[in-house]
Amino acid sequence: MGLYSLRHTNRSVKLGAILFLLVLGYAYLFAFLMVKTWSGLTPAKVQATYVPAPGMDEMHMATQSHSTTQTLDLGQMPEMQHTVDTNTLIQDSHIHIMIYSIVAALLTLIILGLEWPAWWRDTVIVVAFGTGALDFAGQWLMNFGLGGFAWLTIVSGWGMSLVYLIVLYSTVRAVLPGRSPRSVS
Amino acid sequence: MTVLQRLGGAAALALTVAPLGAAAHPSPKVVLVKHADFIRQTTAGAQQYFVRTVTIGKQDLAAIRQSTNYTPDDPDVQFFLGQGGGGKTVGVALFQQINTPHGPLEIGLTFGPDGAVASAVVTTATVETKPWVLEATGTGLMKHFVGMRQGDDTRKALQGVEGQLSGMPQYMAELIATAVGRGLVLYGTLYKESTS
Repeated sequence: MGLYSLRHTNRSVKLGAILFLLVLGYAYLFAFLMVKTWSGLTPAKVQATYVPAPGMDEMHMATQSHSTTQTLDLGQMPEMQHTVDTNTLIQDSHIHIMIYSIVAALLTLIILGLEWPAWWRDTVIVVAFGTGALDFAGQWLMNFGLGGFAWLTIVSGWGMSLVYLIVLYSTVRAVLPGRSPRSVS
Repeated sequence: MTVLQRLGGAAALALTVAPLGAAAHPSPKVVLVKHADFIRQTTAGAQQYFVRTVTIGKQDLAAIRQSTNYTPDDPDVQFFLGQGGGGKTVGVALFQQINTPHGPLEIGLTFGPDGAVASAVVTTATVETKPWVLEATGTGLMKHFVGMRQGDDTRKALQGVEGQLSGMPQYMAELIATAVGRGLVLYGTLYKESTS
């Protein structure tokens, strides 16, 4: 059985759980806008953000520099692609992975009171922690030049959102009055 | 359906549009001046524009390394030329990036026909560095780079704002000077008026 029952707990605990989830969702909406603006939502755009440009290949470099000149229409000049280099990724990782783990831990505290079957509870807890770690694993793999791992970062984002929605839905159901508790294993 | 049920349903529905919201949080750059605007504003009299892409060769790479302890990340360097009537080049712009633990900075440099810096502006910072950069440039730092050319010590520009900066703004000023120095070397080494 769970450590406690959210359904039968103190009203203040229910209130805290619901407000945490709603404000977390509020934050996720802005996180979505941030990603949409600065990275992109497709694997190609995520790759362009995280996979470093090809560096100097001194083995195959010509002895002399050479150049090409083309006309330029300033009105059509594309804005620079936003990129995340290794130093920036280190900075992003050190704060985000910690925050992800704290959010996963807080979700776990709620999950423990949802009276879910043990196998389901443990699965969702593992996914809650795992998706945060895999999000940045994908980013680091792209940083190492493995652009195909953009899908890992994208799927991890979906996973985090899915965990959130499941916990939100179950929490709302648990705190509603007039529902009988489910059996737990 | 109770009010709470409806609220929960609405929140869940709204959040289904944000499945990627939890993924890949880049540190956002802040564009202070758009490239096109910088080029247009600093090449007065230009009637047409060109982009020249120079692919660095071994000899020039060695020269760049000898001049400054720096290896460009990208073998292709872009120069943006503004030409006036008669095809005369009135200015050549390049954008030099320098990475910091707080995200990249980018400095736009325009060189006049005499090969000296005619304009230097921080074109891109990040959300975190922007206030420090603005404090640094607010001292008039950038105007101290005007007139410099390859071989000049860009750190002398810092002497012009001595005592006005400390902490992170001072650090930003030092990074800006480093970036300008690299830009001077790239221009001096790679840019030729006629293409090769």
